[in-house]
Amino acid sequence: MTGPVNLIRNQFVEELKNSGFTARQIVVADESRACYGYDATRQSADPLLVLLPENREQVESAMRLAAKRKLKIFPRGAASGMSGGSIPSNDGIILSLTRMKRILEIDQENMIATVEPGVVTGELQEEVSRLGLFYPPDPASLAFSTIGGNVAENAGGPRAVKYGVTANYVMGLEAVLINGETIRCGNKCIKSVSGYDLTSLLVGSEGTLAVITKILLKLLAAPETVKTTLLAFSSMTTAAHAINAMFKNQIAPSTIEFLDHHSINAVRDELPFSLPQKADTVLLVEIDGTTTSVLSQSQKLKELFKDDALLLIEAQNESEREQLWTARRRLSPAIANLAPHKINEDIAVPRAAIPTVITRLEKLAKKIALPIVCFGHAGDGNIHVNVMLDKDDPDQAQRGHRAIDEIFTITLELGGTLSGEHGIGNTKSAYFDKEWNPPTIATMRAIKQAFDPDNLLNPGKIFPDPEI
Amino acid sequence: MITSPWQQELKKCVKCGACMAVCPIYRQTGREEMVARGKLNLIERLDDNNELPPGWVEAVDYCLLCCSCEENCPKGVKITEIIANARHRQTEQLGLNPIKKSAFTLLKNRFFSLPKFLKIGFWIQWLLWRRLPRHSGLVRRLPLPGLDDKTVIPALPRQHLDDFLKKRQAAPDLKPVLYFPGCATRYLYPQMGLDLLYVLERLGFQGVVPKELNCCGMVTWGAGDQKSNKELKQRNLEIFRKHSDIKEIVTGCASCGHALKEYEDLPEGCEILDISEFLFRHREKLEEMVGTDRLEKKITYHDPCHLRKGQGITSQPRWLLKLIAGENFVEMRHPERCCGAGGTFGISHKEISRKILAEKTHDTDATGAEIVTSGCPGCLLQLTEGALLTDSKWQTKHPISLLADLLRKGKR
Repeated sequence: MTGPVNLIRNQFVEELKNSGFTARQIVVADESRACYGYDATRQSADPLLVLLPENREQVESAMRLAAKRKLKIFPRGAASGMSGGSIPSNDGIILSLTRMKRILEIDQENMIATVEPGVVTGELQEEVSRLGLFYPPDPASLAFSTIGGNVAENAGGPRAVKYGVTANYVMGLEAVLINGETIRCGNKCIKSVSGYDLTSLLVGSEGTLAVITKILLKLLAAPETVKTTLLAFSSMTTAAHAINAMFKNQIAPSTIEFLDHHSINAVRDELPFSLPQKADTVLLVEIDGTTTSVLSQSQKLKELFKDDALLLIEAQNESEREQLWTARRRLSPAIANLAPHKINEDIAVPRAAIPTVITRLEKLAKKIALPIVCFGHAGDGNIHVNVMLDKDDPDQAQRGHRAIDEIFTITLELGGTLSGEHGIGNTKSAYFDKEWNPPTIATMRAIKQAFDPDNLLNPGKIFPDPEI
Repeated sequence: MITSPWQQELKKCVKCGACMAVCPIYRQTGREEMVARGKLNLIERLDDNNELPPGWVEAVDYCLLCCSCEENCPKGVKITEIIANARHRQTEQLGLNPIKKSAFTLLKNRFFSLPKFLKIGFWIQWLLWRRLPRHSGLVRRLPLPGLDDKTVIPALPRQHLDDFLKKRQAAPDLKPVLYFPGCATRYLYPQMGLDLLYVLERLGFQGVVPKELNCCGMVTWGAGDQKSNKELKQRNLEIFRKHSDIKEIVTGCASCGHALKEYEDLPEGCEILDISEFLFRHREKLEEMVGTDRLEKKITYHDPCHLRKGQGITSQPRWLLKLIAGENFVEMRHPERCCGAGGTFGISHKEISRKILAEKTHDTDATGAEIVTSGCPGCLLQLTEGALLTDSKWQTKHPISLLADLLRKGKR
């Protein structure tokens, strides 16, 4: 590190200490900083400094002091993100919010939880479930990702088809602006139309507008029971028709996961049940609610598909339910065996377009001569597309890169979006202007400018050019 | 240059963060360098020629080797293997901690051996420590460096398991199984070993305990002393080979079982079994023997990490406890969470170990049980300290001791 940078850091640390930061909340040591610069995308950059604030006042001081010195701030939750949303620059400061992890209130009358951003999503779910309440969003990382990160990325999950995504549960926020001032938006009211909806604006803003310090979350009554059914179909098209038929017949599954035929072949040998050879698409359907409604809906499901489905297994108890889910859970490690690396995108399309996407991706796979494995959330059109390759082979790497370009083209042509639940971050920002036209991006930029005129908050994310 | 298999293993980590959900140390510290993906990140960054920075050493040191992260890792990264190898590298460069070094010398020395040392220890203990009411541990009488007045150390027995076994008669009509008691049972809890042998006998088996058996090697492996580890393993394997007509080797110690199952060159057809696995194989006979007798005390169970996460054993001990106590066996919340002992971690990192223990004690208290059981002497010692710290009334027992008591009672 060069002299002047070191000097600036030392002065800044002094200022932080004078404003109430303790030595334990300021991380300077090389080895410690090195562990706050990565996320699940395998990118990494050592930040200049890591701060571990424990309350809003400290977040305010940190941001006020950093902005004065024009130092960049990178908010960070559990850093389990899949789009590089929390990756810092070497001259930036990581603001780790994992120490702000109190559940401040569970208001049972209004069914609203008030939490700090560092609360782990799964721990909140466990706490509210002890009171018979339910916080539905279920990103795969829920056992370790934080609510703050979920809100910043607007995380989804398999239950989105019935319950929606994180945004549908955020009633209000408290957030600190880059100048150290605090804004409050939203409230506990179901109806609330007073001014611009800043809550919705901040949800999914990937830490580029403000640092969230408090979140009001809507809760539901916990469903009495859940029933899991596995169905196999001879083609993606018949499976898609089946999904449509469910909705038309007033079956409201909480989850509809699908596996394409590559996925099926990858896990077939590991399944505790046998799948017909002709099975091309597998659906994993969950129905939850009151016991009577679940019973009548699953009855209807069985009647509807007794002819079309090649296989229909209904779980009778928890261990059978686990067995059905093995198909989905074994998938990631199983497809990892197909090639040394994978490029994983999480495109989303309108539900009806799923069969077309799958067909076009199969053609693409043949063209670029790399396997493309698809699975994901068929109920909400969010597809995890995995291009399997060896990145150490320059030719394959180049073909993989071309494949991603074409995957996005196909997705956007069908009315889809670059990311269903991972966010744009820095991994998809280069494609951002493929999805939105210049006036739209200019409007987004104007919003960013209004919040953060010097581009100090999580720079390099979302927008194609880092210098706005 | 990254060359060795464990350095290749490092590359499998994708930094997804799943280890954060289960790491007991991350739970207490909230620091990234204290969780597996942080440690692996630091280990990966240094190539073979780098000098080890103090932060690196500290991060590698802060690990209980409880395997929680490993069990939860979607990529199946062999994390504890990596940590042990990193510690090996550390000892190569910076030398082994002098206390551990002398302890391991004792473990390996055949002349001034560990049992002799511990026998002298008995008299020193008698002077400096006092016995705990209700418990099998000791606390200090006078101020001693590094130990506060709540630190429980095991009460060193006057007689070791080996002394009791000298007087034992071999029963010729019983089928032999090899019993690997492990150091803790041999020198600290001999009654536990006698209980296990009694249960075996009642089932029709003769527990053969070759007195030349060595430490399983777990403690040397965890400390990064690969040379001692290899030596201890080789000596044990020699003994196993000598008795290769006996195919089943049982142990009542979770850590020994975990270590032994990792031995690469076990004699052909030879099998390592935790005592709960062994008993489950003979469940029909055991169930018949126990009949309707049940322990009339509420009991609960703590999963030893090296049993649950190290060997994947969860249902057999629970079957056994239900057999012993029926409805009186209750689960605690989070039975899978580490107790914070981690071999010598509880001594070297007392503050954080106690924080982990406090949660375990809380969960144990909440069950209202009179006895907390666990299939690991290390966990039992730590739980005893937990009871003392919070003035809790429960006792700590190995399930095998409860079973032996029940069978003895039934015979009367």
